[in-house]
Amino acid sequence: MKDRRRRSSRRTPWAYFVFPLPAFVLYVVFFVIPTLQTVQYSITNWDGYSANYDLVGLDNFARAVTGDALFTNAFVNNMKFMMVVVVGQTVLALILSVLLVRNTKTTIFLRALYFFPTILSSVSVGFIWKFVYDPNFGVINGLLGRLGLSEAQSSFLGNDDQAIYWLSITQIWFHAGMMVVIFVAGLQAIPAELYESAEVDGASRWQQFWSITWPLIAPAMSIVVAYTTIQSFKAFDLVLSISGNPPSSSLDILSTRIYSSFANSEMGYAATESVLFIAAIVAITFALRRFLRLVQRGES
Amino acid sequence: MDRRGFLGVAGAFGAAGLMSACAGPGSTSSGAGGFTTDDVATGEVSFAHWRGEDRKIFKELIADFTKVESEISVAQDISPSDDYEAQALRRMRNGSVGDVAPAFRGAQFESFVESGFFVDLEPTDLTSRYKAELITAGSADGVQYGYPYQIVFNDPIANLDILEKAGYPEPAGDWDSYLDMLDKIQSQGVTPIAMPGADAGNAGQLINPMIMNLGPTEDMCAKIESGEYKLTDDWFLEMLRKYGELGDYVQPNASGTAAEPAQQMFATGEAAILATGSYHMASVRSLGAEFPIDIAPPITSDPGQAVYLAAYNATFILGINSASEVQGAGIAWLEYLSRPEVAGAYADGTAQFSPVKGVEYENPDLDRVSSWLEKDILLAPRYQFTDLDMRAAVEDSCLQALTGTEPEKAAEDAQHIVDQRIDS
Repeated sequence: MKDRRRRSSRRTPWAYFVFPLPAFVLYVVFFVIPTLQTVQYSITNWDGYSANYDLVGLDNFARAVTGDALFTNAFVNNMKFMMVVVVGQTVLALILSVLLVRNTKTTIFLRALYFFPTILSSVSVGFIWKFVYDPNFGVINGLLGRLGLSEAQSSFLGNDDQAIYWLSITQIWFHAGMMVVIFVAGLQAIPAELYESAEVDGASRWQQFWSITWPLIAPAMSIVVAYTTIQSFKAFDLVLSISGNPPSSSLDILSTRIYSSFANSEMGYAATESVLFIAAIVAITFALRRFLRLVQRGES
Repeated sequence: MDRRGFLGVAGAFGAAGLMSACAGPGSTSSGAGGFTTDDVATGEVSFAHWRGEDRKIFKELIADFTKVESEISVAQDISPSDDYEAQALRRMRNGSVGDVAPAFRGAQFESFVESGFFVDLEPTDLTSRYKAELITAGSADGVQYGYPYQIVFNDPIANLDILEKAGYPEPAGDWDSYLDMLDKIQSQGVTPIAMPGADAGNAGQLINPMIMNLGPTEDMCAKIESGEYKLTDDWFLEMLRKYGELGDYVQPNASGTAAEPAQQMFATGEAAILATGSYHMASVRSLGAEFPIDIAPPITSDPGQAVYLAAYNATFILGINSASEVQGAGIAWLEYLSRPEVAGAYADGTAQFSPVKGVEYENPDLDRVSSWLEKDILLAPRYQFTDLDMRAAVEDSCLQALTGTEPEKAAEDAQHIVDQRIDS
């Protein structure tokens, strides 16, 4: 009798299930179904508009991995871009957040200032930086010219060897402010007593950072690294706005390559590239988080 | 319902989703057959296009049209050009939008025809209103599926004042003279050519006049795509060498220059030639250019040997959706657009040329440059590429040669990509 009453009291009312239903429907329609369709199309040669298609097995995957210089180029570009952005953005944001962790008028103003680029649209950022990097009218070459350093002037995005790194700098400028906010929140959650007792013990600022801040900032660090990694794979609109469509081969990354395949009426192959794209994001995010855990445990 | 029950329902819903996801592309119905001239000219026409900059002039033309045809209304459905290029067919094939719609010349037009999206326009008798030599881009296998409605010259535009000071009141007509003209412009302290190398879409236009007299056949780019011609062939290498020669006359760091700064250089007289096309005449005017402008195609031939004097393109090709339920009304709208006075108003409103017979231009730039329409001109070879990746690789080889890469190396790198695309 008691058990029945307990089971009855644990029974969830019907109405409760109505609340998550809209989100669930949207998730299934706009995420689950398209994802499953992507996997389905990845083993076809569907052109995107014909009523029919053939199953091609794993041919598309073999082509992407072994026989497509454009996909390889985009993958390599994306790796370079990701590494520079993840390291650069994380280090810059961590340094800024350590400097701005206290709540004074100046630090709050500076945090807001650094956060400002984050609220701009990617397209606006792309256009702003397109003109910053312009070799003829751009700010950087103009400044170098005025300083008598004309030899250091560059074509920036027109230099195939450097273009992806200049793009990385734009991405870091764009998103570092957001990472500062996350780090500041993480830093402010560290109990002040730990630093006080460390000071009593005579620990230097660096020892305090390495022994207290670094291990305790781990949750924020994981979020920043995962977010930055995913962002660097999704820089689609930034690339198109800064480089035009199609982007130059030196700025082609995986997301823009998928779009090019899609525009080239290769829906099946674009789906294959998308599957590999998702697999790459998952694998790299997992590897980076694991690496970070090892570093923070001092095992590496 | 308990939690387990809810999960069961959710699972069933997910399974239904899975099944519908696997329904595949074949589940969408295709176009609804042919067009007949008996179709009644009433109803609301969805006019899909990507030309946001033409919204105003089309709105004016629609207002005039609906005054005459009170039983018809026309609604513009404008997408960004990239979206239109990638998604138009998927969006419009069921006829819910795009009763009248344009196609990009080349790959998109071919896919529209191949999928049965465009109807045969011969029964409309509108073809005779167009200059036959300018509407070939809208036909396939001898059938006229669409009418190119806007013509541009994909050739560099020039500041005639600077050219005249250099001793060339008209653009040079052979390669040596062209280089001499550029030399003399440079000696005046003016940059001869503003090249937007960082903007592939614009930088790629130069290949049209550069290749038009060097290619072994008119369909040279289609044959590169099919593998019949190689980028390592002598004629292509010769073109790349000529690109290399032009490299001495472009602004420093040309590979990093976007289209807008290049236009600015031209508009302010800092550069004599803008290596894009006639479609930039209006924008350089809006930037303050007051000098006379003409096109200045680089002629790669010896004196008197050039077969073609310029390259032109059909920006878009207007056709009727085979799945449209208001084809009669769509044809009436197309017929209205095919009237010389209407086509002229559109041409002046957009600062582009028209293939409709009898059009008179009020815009002085159009009036001056339109004389080129009567010369020996070639439909821009660049758009023979239906594979956009191959086109990008070929154009990139040209830019590489322009900026100092050895022609052989640039050609081999691009041919490697072309070969992979052919094999895929």
